[in-house]
Amino acid sequence: MAFKYLVDNYQDRVFNTAIGIVQNAEDAQDVAQEVFIQVYRSIHNFKGEAKLSTWLYRIATTRALDLLRSRKSKKRFGFMQRLFGEANEPLHELPDFNHPGIALDRKENAAKLFKAISQLPDNQKTAFTLHKLEDLSYQEISEVMQTSVPAVESLMHRAKQNLRKILEKETD
Amino acid sequence: MNTDKNKKLEEILSSLDGSRRAAVPGFFYTRLKARMEKGLEPVKQSWVLRPAFAFSALVVVLLVNAAVILKGDAAKENTVADTENFQSLAAEYRLNDNNNAILFDINQDK
Repeated sequence: MAFKYLVDNYQDRVFNTAIGIVQNAEDAQDVAQEVFIQVYRSIHNFKGEAKLSTWLYRIATTRALDLLRSRKSKKRFGFMQRLFGEANEPLHELPDFNHPGIALDRKENAAKLFKAISQLPDNQKTAFTLHKLEDLSYQEISEVMQTSVPAVESLMHRAKQNLRKILEKETD
Repeated sequence: MNTDKNKKLEEILSSLDGSRRAAVPGFFYTRLKARMEKGLEPVKQSWVLRPAFAFSALVVVLLVNAAVILKGDAAKENTVADTENFQSLAAEYRLNDNNNAILFDINQDK
């Protein structure tokens, strides 16, 4: 019963974080399920030193990044899979991602931004997603990422710089 | 021109501001419970068991086999060719059996 209460309260935060990173609704749902399964199995490890939400965000970002890494390694094996006709999944690039919470008039720009976000390094991607999609403060992000506030500020600064560079290239 | 471009970039960079939180699809808890009951957490498959690796290994083995067989055939052909060469050389220098016999006899006489 307590577990259902926890899931009901945090499922959207976990899903929204995951969808921001993996940029696919089905994968994000998978990640969200894995997060809650991990929480269920290791709730005894939660010491209450951090907020429950912080712990959940940490697991969600880690799991989402793991999925991206496995997607990359699958891509590397793509050639061999195609060669032997063993490919079960499409090898083409994922289509532009449309976040369900973005207003219609911003969808086109948001799709461009998500494409650029997917090219950021993991830590910049995590900080930027948590700040923009979950509206977390730099303090909260530093707790999720187990780093300092100045480090998060630096990550955000570099993320914005990199996004600007990527978008400039794309719009040229 | 540059101002327009900067404006466009700023619009793109701020396109996530004020977005709503994405909600999980319906029956999330039911699906989660079903997955937990079935113990369907994805088992991480060893890379050795991946089809791509298995097929690559199979192809390597087949290629090695083919190479060994082809090399064996080539060696046989070489042996046959060598024998023919020796025979023609022997014929050319009259190193046939009769000549050898004569030479043998001469040696015996001595």
